[in-house]
Amino acid sequence: MPALAAGGAFLSECALPDSVLYPEVPLIVLLMKTSVSPRPRGRVVKPGVLRDRLRFWGPIVLGAALLLYAAWPWLPGTGVARPRTVVFYGFSILGEAMDGGVFPAFQKSWREKTGEKIEFVSSFGGSGTVTNQILLGVPAEIALLALEPDARRIASAGFARRDGWKALPHGGVVNRTPFVILVRPGNPKGIRGFADLARPGVRVVHPDPLTSGGANWAILAEFGAGERERAGGGREMLLGIWKNVVAQASSARAARTQFENGFGDALVTYEQEAVWDRSRKKLRSDVVYPASTILSEHTLVIVDRNVRPDRRALIEAFANFLWSDEAQRIFVRYGFRSVDDRWNRGQPQFGTIADPFSVADFGGWTRAKPEIIEKVWRDDVLPKAHR
Amino acid sequence: MSDNRRAAVPAGILVLVLLPLVLLPLGAVFVFAFRGGFPAFWNVVRSADAQFALRFSILIASATAVVNGVLGTFAAYVLAKYRFFGKRPLGVVVNLPVAIPTVVVGTSLLLLWGPIGWLGKVLDPLGFHPMFAPVGILLAHVFVTLPYMVGAVRPVLDELETTYEEAAYTIGASRWQTFRFVILPALRGGLLSGILLTFAHSLGEFGATVMVSGNLRLRTQTAPLYIFAQFEAGKIAEANAVAAVLAALSFVIFFFLLTYGVGGGAGRAGRR
Repeated sequence: MPALAAGGAFLSECALPDSVLYPEVPLIVLLMKTSVSPRPRGRVVKPGVLRDRLRFWGPIVLGAALLLYAAWPWLPGTGVARPRTVVFYGFSILGEAMDGGVFPAFQKSWREKTGEKIEFVSSFGGSGTVTNQILLGVPAEIALLALEPDARRIASAGFARRDGWKALPHGGVVNRTPFVILVRPGNPKGIRGFADLARPGVRVVHPDPLTSGGANWAILAEFGAGERERAGGGREMLLGIWKNVVAQASSARAARTQFENGFGDALVTYEQEAVWDRSRKKLRSDVVYPASTILSEHTLVIVDRNVRPDRRALIEAFANFLWSDEAQRIFVRYGFRSVDDRWNRGQPQFGTIADPFSVADFGGWTRAKPEIIEKVWRDDVLPKAHR
Repeated sequence: MSDNRRAAVPAGILVLVLLPLVLLPLGAVFVFAFRGGFPAFWNVVRSADAQFALRFSILIASATAVVNGVLGTFAAYVLAKYRFFGKRPLGVVVNLPVAIPTVVVGTSLLLLWGPIGWLGKVLDPLGFHPMFAPVGILLAHVFVTLPYMVGAVRPVLDELETTYEEAAYTIGASRWQTFRFVILPALRGGLLSGILLTFAHSLGEFGATVMVSGNLRLRTQTAPLYIFAQFEAGKIAEANAVAAVLAALSFVIFFFLLTYGVGGGAGRAGRR
């Protein structure tokens, strides 16, 4: 082994960049031992030097280019001044309506009013998931949730004023949408209402009530429809349907994706999903409107703890904008039902529901959550359904 | 020729097994990514969200590789060159992240650094919130990829003949000089493959990231989180476009790992 034979000379030599001395030394040895011994220096001048240089510098140049590309927007002098941002969290099906409609509209109106350009940073997921993230400390400034109980959880953890949303227009409810059933084209299972979902052999895709707000509404819809047939029918209805549930996705939108990918015979979901897709001619399922079903109400929460004082005005302006005629019309265009009935006539895709009901018919969420979701569904139906 | 014939059956079986396991799914990513034609693919990749996610992922992966390049090499050096009480358990601890589900890594980081965690509670009044910020993602990735770096460097260190070091010491080299001029050059191969592996793993990390990132587009959404969010929202073309870019990037990384490793260096070294 010639290595170290030169003693001190070796050390001083190595102070030069190794690439100068031994350009042909292989760069990367996959989880392999390498030999310390330097190669004979005579080989440097032989043909193949260029290839060796390329082997050495190629990956370095490539890596540097990749890093430059990645860091480009953050390099000084390349980007424009960062605009102020609004951090918005929303439940799963809001994505298109907010990103595609409401955010750009507010950006435009804010710019016309103040000349300032603002940016939206958003995240969408199951209402329960979003709520849990807020409770763990994500920097959400404003959140549109599928469930009032989720808003209440945020308030009681000290992130928002208790019942702060009640002071907003319409008690904090931004929009609504009834619960419907999506079935395969041509409705091969002949599903006409929630009762048909309880028939043996029907495979139901349902979002997970632990994380999805839509799933909670769906349970109220199923329970309410059963109760309206006859007293005590709600529990039976839930038990029948939940025996047939074959998949529980984390959010209404995730459940929809599962259904779209060919899973199950029926999906209980927001009418908005169907209306928005049908108005773009993208709906690949049939919509079944049950005779009686619930209209969900979606609650806006300003997460006071995360709103810095200098941004308060911006956040409140955005909150109020959501009830403006412009925003409400956008929601209707994207398939939500407006809290103002005037705009709902503008959407020809809305179906008719013979007997709609709302959470108020159960005494509001303060009663519906413990009495129906927890006592009937979670403690009674769920353990029996999967036995 | 006869080699080829002998290998035909086992190699054929291997390809048949790999086809549904690896090759077809990977192919599907590219097929779906380009189903709408190249312009559609390009429009997705060019969008602000996708660009941010890709750039952010590359930056995080680079930072992870740098941090672990130092930390992992140090850990490997200590474990290989020193003898002390508790060395074996420490070696296990360093490799533990391989065995822990990444989701658990995420939750445990949240429970420590999050606003309700032990350290998070102390840091909160100081205005320092590591979770749901890039630094939280970096923490998670360093945690998850540390074993890859140690695993790449330590075998080289273990096999390095001590005579070289001893020779260096006899001519008066300090511990640092010995490391810098004798050990480090020998480590180069292991170091680079460790860094590339760390980079590749960090680029694709999902389980821990989804817990600690908050999944904010244009803020903390990495490329894998973008893919997941798009797929969950039913936007399969969007998801697959970015997935194809990520896959291509990992191909390039592994191309370097393999050409510079097995084909070049190790092969040549092995023949001598």
